Amino acid sequence: MKNVIKYGSTIIMYLIMVLFTVMTIYPIVWLFIQSFKTNQDYMTGSKLSLPTNWFTLNYDIVWNNLNFNTFFYNSVYYSIITVIVVVILANMAGYAFAKIDFPITKVLFGLFIVGILLTIQSILIPLFVMIFSAGLFNTRLGILIPYIALGLPMAIYLCTDFIRNGVPDELIEAARIDGAGYIKTFVSIVFPMCIPVSVTIAIISFIGTWNEFILMNILTAGDRFKSIPAAVGRFSGSLGSDYGRLFTSLSISIIPILLFYIIFRKQITKGVAAGAVKG
Amino acid sequence: MHMTMKTQKKLSYALLVLPALVVYLAVVAFPTIFSVILSLTNYNGGLIFGNPDIEVVGFTSYRWMFTEPTRSFYTSLRNNLLIVGVSVFGQIPLGFILAYILNQKLIKRGRGFFQSMIFLPYVISPIIIGVLFNAMIINPRSLYWEVARFFNPDIQFTLHSNPMLPVLFVILWMFTGFYMIIFLAHMQRIDPAILEAARIDGANEPRVLRHIVLPAMTSEIVTCAILAISGSLKTFDLIYAMTNGGPAGQTRVLSLFMYLSAFSGAPNYPLANAISTVMVIISIILIVVVRWAAKLFDRHGGYGK
Repeated sequence: MKNVIKYGSTIIMYLIMVLFTVMTIYPIVWLFIQSFKTNQDYMTGSKLSLPTNWFTLNYDIVWNNLNFNTFFYNSVYYSIITVIVVVILANMAGYAFAKIDFPITKVLFGLFIVGILLTIQSILIPLFVMIFSAGLFNTRLGILIPYIALGLPMAIYLCTDFIRNGVPDELIEAARIDGAGYIKTFVSIVFPMCIPVSVTIAIISFIGTWNEFILMNILTAGDRFKSIPAAVGRFSGSLGSDYGRLFTSLSISIIPILLFYIIFRKQITKGVAAGAVKG
Repeated sequence: MHMTMKTQKKLSYALLVLPALVVYLAVVAFPTIFSVILSLTNYNGGLIFGNPDIEVVGFTSYRWMFTEPTRSFYTSLRNNLLIVGVSVFGQIPLGFILAYILNQKLIKRGRGFFQSMIFLPYVISPIIIGVLFNAMIINPRSLYWEVARFFNPDIQFTLHSNPMLPVLFVILWMFTGFYMIIFLAHMQRIDPAILEAARIDGANEPRVLRHIVLPAMTSEIVTCAILAISGSLKTFDLIYAMTNGGPAGQTRVLSLFMYLSAFSGAPNYPLANAISTVMVIISIILIVVVRWAAKLFDRHGGYGK
């Protein structure tokens, strides 16, 4: 009898997990299937069926003619530069906050922490006005500066926390006695020791930058400097006139982050959990 | 001339902190305050300095926001609260249950696979998810409507009586895995020896859950509730792409209400700045609550950090 209960409950547990997994994955699988339909096929056929014949020309059209190659390039460009700059600046500030004793640290650190919970909407209008009057509207720099600034609060928090608890004072003292200045100590000791937290920061800020939409939408005009989410955002509200192409653009937009997730899923889940709870 | 130790220390500190600080002050801190100030004026685009038309109008925009006839502010606020509700009563318990099943090894195979799959929506851009679900459940040519018509051929293309329902469903879909991951990370820190000892003493699964796992997770559950509130305030992209606040503004949240006031149709910057100021105030209250909660749990020796 006890075995039956145990066996039964295991089956229920599996059913729960399978149910949630199917519910999570089905919309994405559905999307990929629809992306191989022509507009005609989607409009007239059942939304549950497979394509009558697998139509791949849409991928070519979306990638080349609808400029998704440019959007992809822009997304990679913004994400990589933002990640590199955020990691370096956060390590620098984190080291100073954690290991160089100054009373002002408390105020400055607090200032950054407030930024974690602030919503982007509360800076939208002034930022728009500022970027516009600085002549940075619709430029790469006008996108990168806000992206870097928005990545900093969480990154600095994680970095300061890590250096405070993970880099022993003795190590830094020893280097200082050997005559290394603060900057040299940072470059040769602290920065290399911070690689684990730098990976976490890189992942969080990469996902954030890659998916960012609202700033991109407001601070750029035309296709040249837009990233993938801003391009997809044009389909919002009323759908594009061609369903086949709509679904293909969504598929093309999802594929890179899907690959990124498959490769780094262990680090991503660890990094996201660390970032979320500490924040 | 030799630098004294003190000057060297000061210089190094400045060199390390200033780059981040300057960018942050310029892009985040200053505009936040600036937006609060603008909310008290009638500034509505164009030149800010030396513009003779700008006047200080006090709380006019706030009064308008609280009393205007469409009551958009209250609708948006209610929707924000609904999102908090779906997180607290949906995602957090579901995430907890899923994490518990995975952590207690109640299933033997495929744990890594299930975990990766359920967390997946979190990494996809909310804009893409919004457009996708618009095509799947909102649009007249959607999958949902085809299925609905199969069961009830007479069903009309009227807008749902409860327009927030599909939005809340998608939010549940997106973030359940996120909470699962957070809970899982912390359950793994509970000493397995304690669980083992309890089982040897004959405690069954519900007792282990109630007397060991739940008490150890209290501070994480509070953290998740706070995350749900701040996440609700930040919700924008998904609704923008999925419904754009429609029908008739019924699915707006504060962030979308603010955006539409400023950047869609005839701009109303004073109103938008007033909304964003209210959002800042809610965030500040939240920060105070977070610090208070953190202290509370530190004193009681709450689990983890």
